[in-house]
Amino acid sequence: MLSNREAKLQGLREAALRLRRNIWRALHAAGSGHMGGSLSAADLLAALYFHHLAIRPDQPDWPARDRFVLSKGHANAALAAVLAQSGFFDESLLDDFYGFESLLGMHPDIKAPGVEMSTGGLGHGLAVGIGMALGAQLQGRDFRTLVMLGDGELQEGSNWEAAMAAAHMGLANLTAIVDFNKIQQSGPVKAVLGLDPLADKWRAFGWEVREIDGHDIGAIVDAFDALPYAPDKPSLLIAHTVKGKGAGFAEDSHLWHVNAVTDEVYRNALDELGDAQ
Amino acid sequence: MSTVDDDPVAAPDWVGRAANQSRLAFGLAVTELAARDSSVVAVSADTLDLIGLRDLSDRFPERLIEVGIAEQNAMGIASGLATTGLRPFVCGYAPFITARSLEQLRNDVAYANQRVVIGAAASGISLGVAGGTHHALEDLALMRALPNMTVVVPADAHQAWHATLATEHLDGPVYIRLGGRVEEPAVTPVVASIRIGQADVLRDGSDVTVIACGALVAPALEAAADLSAQGIDARVVNMHTLKPLDRDPILAAAAETGGIVTAEEHHLTGGLGGAVAELLAREHPSRMRMVGMPDEFAVVGPTDRVRDRYGMSGRGIRAAVLDLLGRSEPLA
Ligand SMILES: [Mg+2]
Repeated sequence: MLSNREAKLQGLREAALRLRRNIWRALHAAGSGHMGGSLSAADLLAALYFHHLAIRPDQPDWPARDRFVLSKGHANAALAAVLAQSGFFDESLLDDFYGFESLLGMHPDIKAPGVEMSTGGLGHGLAVGIGMALGAQLQGRDFRTLVMLGDGELQEGSNWEAAMAAAHMGLANLTAIVDFNKIQQSGPVKAVLGLDPLADKWRAFGWEVREIDGHDIGAIVDAFDALPYAPDKPSLLIAHTVKGKGAGFAEDSHLWHVNAVTDEVYRNALDELGDAQ
Repeated sequence: MSTVDDDPVAAPDWVGRAANQSRLAFGLAVTELAARDSSVVAVSADTLDLIGLRDLSDRFPERLIEVGIAEQNAMGIASGLATTGLRPFVCGYAPFITARSLEQLRNDVAYANQRVVIGAAASGISLGVAGGTHHALEDLALMRALPNMTVVVPADAHQAWHATLATEHLDGPVYIRLGGRVEEPAVTPVVASIRIGQADVLRDGSDVTVIACGALVAPALEAAADLSAQGIDARVVNMHTLKPLDRDPILAAAAETGGIVTAEEHHLTGGLGGAVAELLAREHPSRMRMVGMPDEFAVVGPTDRVRDRYGMSGRGIRAAVLDLLGRSEPLA
């Protein structure tokens, strides 16, 4: 028999698998989209929404909810899919991804249930997260704020203004997660504008840093359970991921940062996930 | 009739402390709101004294959020604060808090429609000697182009105080344009309140209408007085809210007077003149002249001289009115 922990992790793996199918479902409905950065974030998002975050999908504005901001807004297929799967709205809404007057476009819109901030312009989410974390602190509220950043996104200077401020303010209720998939739109991050040494940069800015394999559900759960990493500093989780994870044809390639999703691509993607239903 | 204005003893405390500077009146009003409402917070980009927030910082230190010289961060943080139910007032230099943080303003504040009030000090060429980097002559065009945004240009410190207090009743983002480190002539009474979105007719007249905002309201009144001596009866409207634009007094002026002159300390593109022209082109095509900054960067110099060089003065407004009416300048 599985231990409680193993059963829990197995459940999260299944949720992540279903999430990947839902990501493809949304992207196929749209005809194209950002599969690479959606799939790299899928395990992290599954663990966030089905294990870590205090949320009430039937009450999206519940004041005590934890806040999650997807700063790398182009991965909205993943956010929309995980919100649907959590019950913020019906999964059938994913078939309206990119639709006319849809709540679900390429980038998150605060009007959609469960979306905490309209994002898409890169380098915005961390500052907004600071405001949320400060808002909790000033009002004596317990909710936590988590912001997911892309690696390419870290080239935007505004992130470093925010990194400096969050540490200066000692915001232990703020966590940033870097989906470090090493690829951006036009090629490897290293080639475009390298980030190394990434962990040291954040440490130098005053953050407490951990690094994990962002596809190891057990490691992800442990990393979230261990938050905050220091009593008086913001926490940074660097999750080493694979762009396009779960679709071999798309893995580790900037060509699948954003691409068309034909019927054939969709079929291949579902086949790889082991269930075409 | 005796009013509070005539009696310095009876004037409220803020009047003396604002010292006829709209930027200080804004900070004092934010402090007043903070005393009334524990959800009011101020976000400063190293602009504590620029905008009169020292007192708030002393009395409610936890509600003064200093982010340093980082306007993008200030704006994003303000948006995040607003999502939690707080009422942030972001304070900065007009040229930087608009242009430097424009994407945060557009996405995090306007697009996400958060209740954030922006106090923008040192607008126009109030920092004349500082040069083009520190002049803000495009801020109104930038702010007016953003959906959900309310844009207010107080005519003096009194109006800045009342406008800031009035944001208590507004939803969504508000931009309040403020002056620099110089005294601004008082053109509105201490006790007057402001109805945001409803312009004030400061002087009635039937020959022509001058629609002015901010620092050019006082010169508009001065021009009207001069014109009166020449037998020209000018109406003067203080258009303190650029957005939403108060249509009725503009359409009435177009129908009832011989033409419209707009006057603003801003580029002729996209500000008050543009807003009035857009309305009139659609609804009541009218003869107009626009007083404001031409399509160039202003020279360095003392504010009054630089304003006057480009016609942004009583003299310049009077000349625009005479030109509109086909009258020549009187012999000197
Ligand atoms: Mg990437």
